[in-house]
Amino acid sequence: MKFAALFGKEFRECLPWMLLAAIVLLAFGSFFLRAQAYDMNPNRDWSRGYNPPGTAVEAYRLTFNSPLAMLGPWLFCCSIGLGLILGARQFWIPNFTRTWPFLLHRSARRTTILTAKLTAGSTALVLAIGGVWVSLYWYACQLEVFTVPPPARVFIHGWILVIMGLLTYLGTALSGLSEARWYTTKIFGIAFAVIIVGVTTGEWSLARALAVIAFGAALLLSQLFDTFATREF
Amino acid sequence: MNDTVLQTRGLTKYYDSTPAVDHLDLEIPRGCICGFVGRNGAGKTTAIKLMLGLLEPTAGSASLLGCDSSALTPAIRQRIGYVAEGHRLFRWMTIGALERFQRAFFPKQWDDKLFREMIEYFDLPKKKKIKHLSNGQRAQVSLALALAPNPELLIMDDPTLGLDAAIRRQFLEGMIELIMRQGRTILFSSHILGDVERVSDRIIVIDKGVLRANCSLEQFQRAIRKVVLSFSGDVPGQVDIEGLLHCKRGDKQLELTLVGADDEKVAALAKSIRAETYNVVTMNLEDQFIEFTAPANHKRLFQWEER
Repeated sequence: MKFAALFGKEFRECLPWMLLAAIVLLAFGSFFLRAQAYDMNPNRDWSRGYNPPGTAVEAYRLTFNSPLAMLGPWLFCCSIGLGLILGARQFWIPNFTRTWPFLLHRSARRTTILTAKLTAGSTALVLAIGGVWVSLYWYACQLEVFTVPPPARVFIHGWILVIMGLLTYLGTALSGLSEARWYTTKIFGIAFAVIIVGVTTGEWSLARALAVIAFGAALLLSQLFDTFATREF
Repeated sequence: MNDTVLQTRGLTKYYDSTPAVDHLDLEIPRGCICGFVGRNGAGKTTAIKLMLGLLEPTAGSASLLGCDSSALTPAIRQRIGYVAEGHRLFRWMTIGALERFQRAFFPKQWDDKLFREMIEYFDLPKKKKIKHLSNGQRAQVSLALALAPNPELLIMDDPTLGLDAAIRRQFLEGMIELIMRQGRTILFSSHILGDVERVSDRIIVIDKGVLRANCSLEQFQRAIRKVVLSFSGDVPGQVDIEGLLHCKRGDKQLELTLVGADDEKVAALAKSIRAETYNVVTMNLEDQFIEFTAPANHKRLFQWEER
């Protein structure tokens, strides 16, 4: 009951940003995919030299250069952006509104309060970015949209980008909790998340990318719980 | 049942090299309304936060309801109400949503009837968001939220700051309502000495982080006295008396502020320095507090030249 109340409050605070990010990504993604689908529509005028759909050349292009994969940079920006915003909303804003004492002085452990915050923030991010990504993948898989559905690796790589957003969220949260001056160790959380994201982006092996993400997330989480338990409010 | 609800032992907090709270030793008995007073920056908020475990002490310790402040369990926190300075609540929530949120943490002890009555008494619209409420209304919501779980100990940090006289009166009545319930204890900090005088039965004075007084209000009011001594001849240059706070020389008069001087001591002093007459000036709590906490060499802000 206490966790549910905390989760509900935190999720409600994330909701506007979550909806905004989801709408932006969905609107752009669906517009882009529709444009690509139109580009490959068999009823359009092919006299300008494009490869008509159904040909071997077009199928080859779709397999290796899926229109869905071209959404990668957008997905990356939305995921990282939402991670930054949610981290700031949950861990920076209470410093300015001075609502920490009201939140913390209640019959719940600090770890419960932090877990509720992180669960709500992560859920909001995964629902917004991951949910839209699943929808776009499903849309791209429809046979009437593209003759060749996007390969599964595109879908998995998309989820890696969603997880990068989660890392950014954790890094921003850690920076928000830090009491150091902004130009010193306060930026450690965000800087560390950026490094992990950078390393992951340059990593071609999925297993190694996941290992780097798991290492980064574990370090950020342990720091977050330790900082939250010992910090002065 | 332990009769001390709040205890601090050498409680100290430094910010860099500045002491905000310096070796605070306090004991607050159960069932009292305790006014916690001090000038701006005296360390009241820091002391309260230390007591609640929101700040880590540099040295010393505090305990609430027998539990160390640095390790207050959810079960103990459930028994302590807290109204934070400035009534900082979640601005986007309505009063109703805030009530549901708060009630979730006190499933058994939440007094729904009391909360409803207080909201009706203060005439607060339940559907209104906190951000649309005035300062006074937010203070009333804070009080209702803190009182509804029936806390054994209520700690309030400057709860009447920024409220007008009428709302302050309502707020104080709410506090008295709580104390009427047996065994409840209230600690509240305030700048408004009139409020402390009206509702407190105990007073704690803190100055530059140091505890200056912790006694019953009656004792405090009896202890601080101002005596005006008149002389026919020269005013004595030096006055040596125990508990002398301030000494102000006039043309034929000597004005002394004393701590702990009873009628006998004052009479003996007047006799020893050959005062012609002496007069004990009645002071209210505010005057007493100002005299008690003013530095020995305090100056007036504006020194007008006499023509």
